[in-house]
Amino acid sequence: MRRRSTFIPPKEVDYDPSEIRITEGSLSFAGLQAAREERLTFGLNELPAEIVDVLQRSHELHVRWATERAYDKSSPYLSSISPGLHVSYTPLSDRNNDKLCPLLHRIFSESLRCVSPEISFSRPDILSERFASAAALQYYSLLPSLEKLVTWIQEHVCPPSGVGCRHNAALLNSASYVDIDYDSISHALTFAAFWSEPPTTTMGMVEGWQTYNNWNILVDPSPSDRNEVGILKASPGSEAAQIEMEGILTVVGEDNSPKPTRFFFPSRHHALSTKQDHDQSYTVSFDEPTGLHPTMRIRFPAATVLQEPASKAADSTCALHAYLTLPSTIFADEYAFPTTDIDPPFTEAHNIVSLRSLSGERDLEAPDYVIHKWGSAMLLELATPTSAQQIDTSWDVTIPLHLRYLKPTSGGKQHIEIPWPVVFWACTADEGTKFTVNPFDRINLAYDGLFGPRTMFYHLEPQPVANQKMLEAIDVPVLDTNVMTSSMAELLTLLLVTSGFLWVTWKVSREISWEWNWWSRTDARKGKAVTAEETKKSN
Amino acid sequence: MSVVSRAFESPLLIFAAALTLRLVLFFYGIYQDAHSALKYTDIDYFVFTDAARAVSRGSSPYARATYRYTPLLAWILLPTSWSAKDGLWFHSGKALFAVSDIVAGWLIYRLLAKQGMTRQRALRYASVWLLNPMVANISTRGSSEGLLCAMVMATLYAFETRRILLAGALLGLSVHFKIYPFIYGVSMFWALKSKPAPAPNFADLKSISTLLNKARVQLLVSSLAIFTGLNLSMYSIYGHPFVEHTFLYHFTRTDHRHNFSLYNTLLYFSSADPSINPSIISAERLAFLPQIFLSCILLSLLPSTTCALPTTLLAQTLAFVTFNKVCTSQYFLWYLIFLPLYLPHSSLMQDWKRGVSALGAWIAGQAAWLGFGFRHEFLGRSAWLGLWGSSALFFLINCWLLGIVVQDGGGFARSKLEELSVVAKEEPEHGKLVR
Repeated sequence: MRRRSTFIPPKEVDYDPSEIRITEGSLSFAGLQAAREERLTFGLNELPAEIVDVLQRSHELHVRWATERAYDKSSPYLSSISPGLHVSYTPLSDRNNDKLCPLLHRIFSESLRCVSPEISFSRPDILSERFASAAALQYYSLLPSLEKLVTWIQEHVCPPSGVGCRHNAALLNSASYVDIDYDSISHALTFAAFWSEPPTTTMGMVEGWQTYNNWNILVDPSPSDRNEVGILKASPGSEAAQIEMEGILTVVGEDNSPKPTRFFFPSRHHALSTKQDHDQSYTVSFDEPTGLHPTMRIRFPAATVLQEPASKAADSTCALHAYLTLPSTIFADEYAFPTTDIDPPFTEAHNIVSLRSLSGERDLEAPDYVIHKWGSAMLLELATPTSAQQIDTSWDVTIPLHLRYLKPTSGGKQHIEIPWPVVFWACTADEGTKFTVNPFDRINLAYDGLFGPRTMFYHLEPQPVANQKMLEAIDVPVLDTNVMTSSMAELLTLLLVTSGFLWVTWKVSREISWEWNWWSRTDARKGKAVTAEETKKSN
Repeated sequence: MSVVSRAFESPLLIFAAALTLRLVLFFYGIYQDAHSALKYTDIDYFVFTDAARAVSRGSSPYARATYRYTPLLAWILLPTSWSAKDGLWFHSGKALFAVSDIVAGWLIYRLLAKQGMTRQRALRYASVWLLNPMVANISTRGSSEGLLCAMVMATLYAFETRRILLAGALLGLSVHFKIYPFIYGVSMFWALKSKPAPAPNFADLKSISTLLNKARVQLLVSSLAIFTGLNLSMYSIYGHPFVEHTFLYHFTRTDHRHNFSLYNTLLYFSSADPSINPSIISAERLAFLPQIFLSCILLSLLPSTTCALPTTLLAQTLAFVTFNKVCTSQYFLWYLIFLPLYLPHSSLMQDWKRGVSALGAWIAGQAAWLGFGFRHEFLGRSAWLGLWGSSALFFLINCWLLGIVVQDGGGFARSKLEELSVVAKEEPEHGKLVR
């Protein structure tokens, strides 16, 4: 196993390297207030058999989870995904991998709507042929916490005596996001977790210190493991795409003291400048009343400041996008959005330029209970204010959506939740820029696969109302089984149809019988006449 | 008043008014589409035109989701793909639909005139269709029902003018377009009698040779030939998706989205959980039995004398729509087309109180349902009970109306038959034809 721990203290905090205690086989420090990323890399032989079993059938597997709470980003950990569990997956050949869903159930939640990749996963659009890293299949589910994963790690990964391991696993409960990556070329599984800040209380791993809002760390790897600990700060590099990192690095067991370091790399994901970052936040809500055709409203507080990133390269072009991850209960009608044609009235009404991609369950009629896919993913290019529109009001994007019918329940309401979309500027990078694999790169975020390889993402920050989650809830009206049961509906319908049927039948038979009577009377009359005629003839 | 009644003396004026109404709505629609995100154009029109676009690119119209029509419709609408969605060609289909419904109106007028009605009276009744804003609105928004109604009316016109081969061919085409007109085939078949007799004359059923006569064979052969020919050619071009979307879908569909049908709540329940419907006679699966029995068998036996056929067709259609598992407002056009031909003989016209209450009840039933539908669909309130109750009310109202139509049809036939019996007494040679 290889482990890399990275701490990013806030800009204003200067960390004194002498606080770090380094012995022959361990490193410890306490009282560090910082964002933190842990990245653990395992060989297949270090993993539980049930994991290996799934990985050996995978060409690539990427699991992303993000918290429902808004968190502060720290450069270079700037990318965003909607809260919940995202899986990108390419099976190895077409062999079915029916073990993936059961594994996800065991590790994350029994209630995931996941039968098998073939049935439950969707196939994302391929808009950019050259972007080879996009996985073939996509899956998403709401997942409020990683409790089950924590328990699973504690039971299946941690050694029986591993107090530290169990403690570290429990830290995942306060993580901002978790990434799990595997591909069949490296044959290695990477597990990464990011915390935007230290947990409120950290159990004393270092000589029993208990710290509050601070990290305290004890790293004492077994001889076969390699551990690297860095305390770094990021700043914009000399070129638009670059991020520069500066700080100290220590390889535990090798270095006697922290080594100063400084390096830079081109990054796909960026923040807006501090000023713009503050101005260009967004909130998400549904217009009331939501009805069965809710309108999602993405609101930017001020139209005047909704402008391209100030730090973009000089000749770079940018467009504002929103990427929606819609659970199966809600969907968009692809035909209601302009795709290639421009539709000025639509753009003016909704502040949406076009639907760039919609994949997943696109059925416009099916109720939620008959479909098997997880839902759908949607990339929209948003309109930005023209200079004439840059008035001092909010800039609202409205996305017309529809709810699927849900099952009848007692009470007549079903509560559903929809994650907030991510919103970003997608900008072209300089001609020569190559986003080579770097230690802080984060790819396979679903939406990045819909853009060309030289695209930079400048993320806008969601601003939920204090302590609110980045989820919108809707109470969907369904048939109330307390008011009407299935057998009641059946009985009443049968009764009405029978009455209507009998009424009409009675009416018709009255008319028909009259006509038949008339004809038989006429026939009889005519029959008499004929008989009379025949009698006459025979005489 | 006199100006209005004088206006009804001039067919030119009425048809000009019908055309103007549609032209105004047509151009207003183009204007609204260009200036508002809320489109005047019907959602279905985008389905047809997307399908036409797909055909123009050499692909299948079924590439467009929810295209559930014959490929003929997409072919007819090919000109809509000659411009972008803001171009004039895009709207040409709506013009076609509007022209079709004026053609249907013209056929109605001709049929009424054929019945010996004065020009003014015929125009008045034809105006129930021609100047009906609901009809003009549906066509100019781009719903294909106008085209279908023209086909059905052309079938009836050909039939009533004794062009049976043509009537059969048009019937075959109509059934290929929308399935339901097959019910008209049954009553038309019975109406083609070799001699005056009740329909069907049970003597007919004794053997095939007495059941069939030249006209009936012509109707059968031409309708089946056109229907089969069209289906086979479409199948050979588009294969299974054609059968799936044009026909099979309509038998398996259990629209979960609420609609006017009485069966809707039951279908919602049973689709949500097939296991909660344990009864052996699952009602919704048997729904087609009363529907087909009434619309196809029983009502086709209504007394069929001259001029009574439109009333029979109206009764059949009303029964088909009322007892259908799915029912939306566009289905109402299917029976409204026969209204101008039925009203002149209707008790609804003779007794104005009855007429007003029938119209009022029909509108009130829909209004109640739409009110609950709005609460449910747009306000997100649970209105299922109200929806069910108003569907039930609307169903009962339609059954009541159906009873009136049946009674009027019978009454009209009765008066005709009594005229006939006077004639029969005077012409004893008729007796030779009877057993």
